[in-house]
Amino acid sequence: MTNSTKKKKEKKKDFQKPKLKVGKAKPKAANFTDTSFKAKSIVLTQQSLSANAPTVAAQCAHHLSLLTHRADTQRKESLAYLTTAIANNPPGNPLPQPSSIVLPGVQRLILDGSNGVRHQLLKLLHSLPAGDIASHSDQLLLHTRAGMTHLASEIRLFSLDVLEWLLKVAGDEVVSCAGGWVKMLKCFLSLLGWQNEASGKWSATKSFGKAGGDAKVQVKQMNTLSLFLKTGLVPSETSISTSTGTSTFPLWQTEHHMPSERSNAYAHLNLFGAARDEEAEMYEDREDRQRVFHERAESAIITGLEQATKAGGELGRAAAQLRRVLKEGMADYHGEDNMPM
Amino acid sequence: MGKRKVGALEKVDADLANLQYKVRRDPPSYRDDFQNQYNQYETFRELFLQNPSTTDGNGLVSFRDLIDFIAHCADAYPTITAQFPEDLQQILSLHHEDLQYELRDKIVGSLVLLRNKDVIDSSTLLNTLFPILVTTPSKSLRALLFTKILSDLRTSNSKATNHKLNRTIQKVLYNLVTSDRESPKGLWAVKLTRELWKRQIWTDSSAVEIMKEASLSENEKVITGGVRFFLGGDKEREEAADESSDGDDDIDMDKVRHQFGINKKSKKNQRDLKKAAATVKRKEKKKKAPHPLNFSALHLLHDPQGFAESLFSKHVQNSKSKLALESKLVVLQLVSRLVGLHKLTVISLYSYFLKYLNPRQASVTSFLACLAQATHDLVPGDVLEPLIQKIANEFVSEAAASEVAAAGLNSIREICARQPGAMSGTLLQDLVMYRKSKDKGVMMAARGLLSLFREAAPELLNKRDRGKDATISLITGTFHERRFGEQAAGGIEGIELLEQWKEEERRKKRIEAGLDPDAPTDEEDIARAEAEDWKNWDVESDDSDDSGGWINVESDGEDIVISDSEDEKDKPPAKKAKLASEAPTEGTEEKENSTSKSASMYPEIRHVSKLATTRILTPADLAKLQELRTTTSISSHLHSKRRPPPIASRHTDDPVTAAEIEAPGLLGIKKTKAEKIAMAKSDNKEGHQSTTAIRKSKKEAEGKSTTNKEKSRKKNFLMTLGKAKGKQKRSLTEVKRTLKGHQERKKRGGKRGNKGM
Repeated sequence: MTNSTKKKKEKKKDFQKPKLKVGKAKPKAANFTDTSFKAKSIVLTQQSLSANAPTVAAQCAHHLSLLTHRADTQRKESLAYLTTAIANNPPGNPLPQPSSIVLPGVQRLILDGSNGVRHQLLKLLHSLPAGDIASHSDQLLLHTRAGMTHLASEIRLFSLDVLEWLLKVAGDEVVSCAGGWVKMLKCFLSLLGWQNEASGKWSATKSFGKAGGDAKVQVKQMNTLSLFLKTGLVPSETSISTSTGTSTFPLWQTEHHMPSERSNAYAHLNLFGAARDEEAEMYEDREDRQRVFHERAESAIITGLEQATKAGGELGRAAAQLRRVLKEGMADYHGEDNMPM
Repeated sequence: MGKRKVGALEKVDADLANLQYKVRRDPPSYRDDFQNQYNQYETFRELFLQNPSTTDGNGLVSFRDLIDFIAHCADAYPTITAQFPEDLQQILSLHHEDLQYELRDKIVGSLVLLRNKDVIDSSTLLNTLFPILVTTPSKSLRALLFTKILSDLRTSNSKATNHKLNRTIQKVLYNLVTSDRESPKGLWAVKLTRELWKRQIWTDSSAVEIMKEASLSENEKVITGGVRFFLGGDKEREEAADESSDGDDDIDMDKVRHQFGINKKSKKNQRDLKKAAATVKRKEKKKKAPHPLNFSALHLLHDPQGFAESLFSKHVQNSKSKLALESKLVVLQLVSRLVGLHKLTVISLYSYFLKYLNPRQASVTSFLACLAQATHDLVPGDVLEPLIQKIANEFVSEAAASEVAAAGLNSIREICARQPGAMSGTLLQDLVMYRKSKDKGVMMAARGLLSLFREAAPELLNKRDRGKDATISLITGTFHERRFGEQAAGGIEGIELLEQWKEEERRKKRIEAGLDPDAPTDEEDIARAEAEDWKNWDVESDDSDDSGGWINVESDGEDIVISDSEDEKDKPPAKKAKLASEAPTEGTEEKENSTSKSASMYPEIRHVSKLATTRILTPADLAKLQELRTTTSISSHLHSKRRPPPIASRHTDDPVTAAEIEAPGLLGIKKTKAEKIAMAKSDNKEGHQSTTAIRKSKKEAEGKSTTNKEKSRKKNFLMTLGKAKGKQKRSLTEVKRTLKGHQERKKRGGKRGNKGM
């Protein structure tokens, strides 16, 4: 063989096709690596035993993640799914996803731009078991307050609905959480346009945009305010009943010595958070709340009420109700104030 | 996530931009609305602080938008927003690492906006931003903060220098560099200082002090940053100043005015015209303004000796320093530059070089350049002699490549130009022989050395190599050899010209008065002259006798003597005048046979004009002095063909670069065609243009259309036909007339007779 043919052959060798034969295994490539291995046992870390996967819990988790979806309808549908899943849950069973997971995911939607989403959200909130809300009330309240100061009037109105629900479910926690009393009062005052500074002027300024100047809206706001004040100022019957209950005779004031039923019972000490000012302080006592209310909001509300009563009609009725609540709540405080010290 | 589609109803409601616009127009009546928004912001802030890394893009109004809105309206409601800047600062400094980037940038922008609205002052802003700049791991945030800090410093220094702010920032930067010498954080101080130096915002010694500390730090990046500032910062500053002065497009005022006359008259056009006029005026003013006196960073150093010593011992000589060769070289450049510029004495520097002087050393030309740079006339020749010997042995030999030999010879020349005393006679005579080399580079380098020593120390050369001028000066004894450490007496440049001129004036006056012009001046005379000077104190009153701004340029330069050291009367005839006009001679070589000669000549050569010390120069005198200086400089340029330019014409501030050392070595190398083409292309960035194209563009730039030549070339040939035809059919008388006419016109110098004169 001449040198040149040899070279040619060598060159050809690289590009020769392997011959395939019928009934025989495909020849392995030159750089083939055997990846098979042997093991005594194979263990799977997770295994689904349900026949019709995925479970309700998994689907709920999925829908929770869909709450940040950009399409309104998708968010709404996810909320609807969660609502039905919670509502269909047989009593006594744990929820498909615990409230501590559902609530943080859901609460942002109070500020959602779409009307449908917000109403679906309210339905979901109503379906949640009442006992779970108390420990999340401060977070919910923050969002509600953000909604109440929102630029869009619809969201402002909607957040009142949320607040009503919240007061119904966890009223005591709402009025006594950090910033829950003073900031809410301020928020209401600005909502109603009864601010202290503005009242001194000779003409009432019209609020920007489609504001709550509407009588109907204002009625709703006043109703919510009266509910809020009632929760905060009027002593509840339950607390009276517990204090009067002296069935455990040899022990006195047992409930004070028992471990607290609430989570984060020492929150009022504010051991780890940033320093709070008067507005952000927690007002757990009724007397404290009365005092702060008297200092900060009472005069503004009374002047506002006078104007509202003059308007008459439904507005006047709401004002009268509010006045009643105010009287009831502040009755003993005024007595104290008038007493000679 | 994408932008949500906003419905029509929401648009009306949740429109912060609209509210912002209304607030701007009428702050008091929208106070409640603003208060509501501020409450909203506060609740959002609380929500945000619960979990700083959340994205709140879903809502109708985001936290970001609210911050933007409040920052824009903050100046209208100072009581409501009193806490706002502090909140932002807190958020930024505590959470800058886990903030969503859009929100983060918005907060930075809002803080700057608040600064621009004078809600907060510059120092609070910079004290917030700077620590973040140093600590943040995000590159984009660093870039943003850097530009913001820089622009804030610029704006606060734009009207007048804000000394207080500058001082605090400089202190912060200084502390940053000095507190932790090993951290790379100092780089930010370096960057900031360099940028501000470039823009001439910081021009004082404290900025230089920061850079000094940076170059003495332990981090390599910081060191090179600081050192490079000293080596290149001033040049960068000059370039930036040049760019800003001629960078912007010129406004042609005539054109603008013309257009205004033609176009529709509107208020806007009128405003534009006024604006253009104002800018032109401002530019003129700027052009006429005196040049700002800026000292270079090297001159502003407090203790150059200490700085050079510590730099050298810390980074260069220290065997423990882990600098790469490149950065070490940069430091070495700075050290040698300092030594050369300030004439410092760092003796160990020269022996350090000995190790690196061989052709196989990486970037040896840089070392050679450094060595040349570090040489000055106060370095003892004995210290330099072994170095020169080593260069000669290692580089300059028949065996070495021609580039190597050329570089060696050139570096020896550079060293000897600064300290001729370092050269010994035998070595010099050997080296000079290389001028017969066949390689062009080596030949040129050797010739350079030869011509240097013809001026500096001709007695070291062989007799036949000395050349005519040097030989003559040695024989006549006019050659003045500079001894070691000798300093030339300083003076005012051109003062002797003024003295000479004054003398002539006096003579003229005496001739007019009919007195003996050469009589010695008595005291009375001087007093009278002085009184006259005081009368003509101002420049304006003095230009009665000189030709009003014109500079007399002599038709032939033979008679002019551009002497910068000698007085007219001491001048020996013709021959000697030529010698005196050569570059100032220097030389320190101790050689027995010449010292005695030159010593005897010494007192009469250096005659320093006493005018400046005996009389007070009036502004008129100074103006005359300036005029005389320009005259001489122009006439010296005219005769540059005959006289070689002085060798040490380079400014002492300019560094010696490796490229300069390498230059003669490149002479002998022939270029390939491709290289030649590339070079031809590179020198003209717009690409090659034909001569006609260049000429045409030049014409157009002048506002003219075409040359006569072009017109005639382009003329329709049918139009030229008649004339051409007629020319051939002319009668003899006609031909005669035209010829005669031509003759006459030639005499007159053209149709219009513009021969003039």
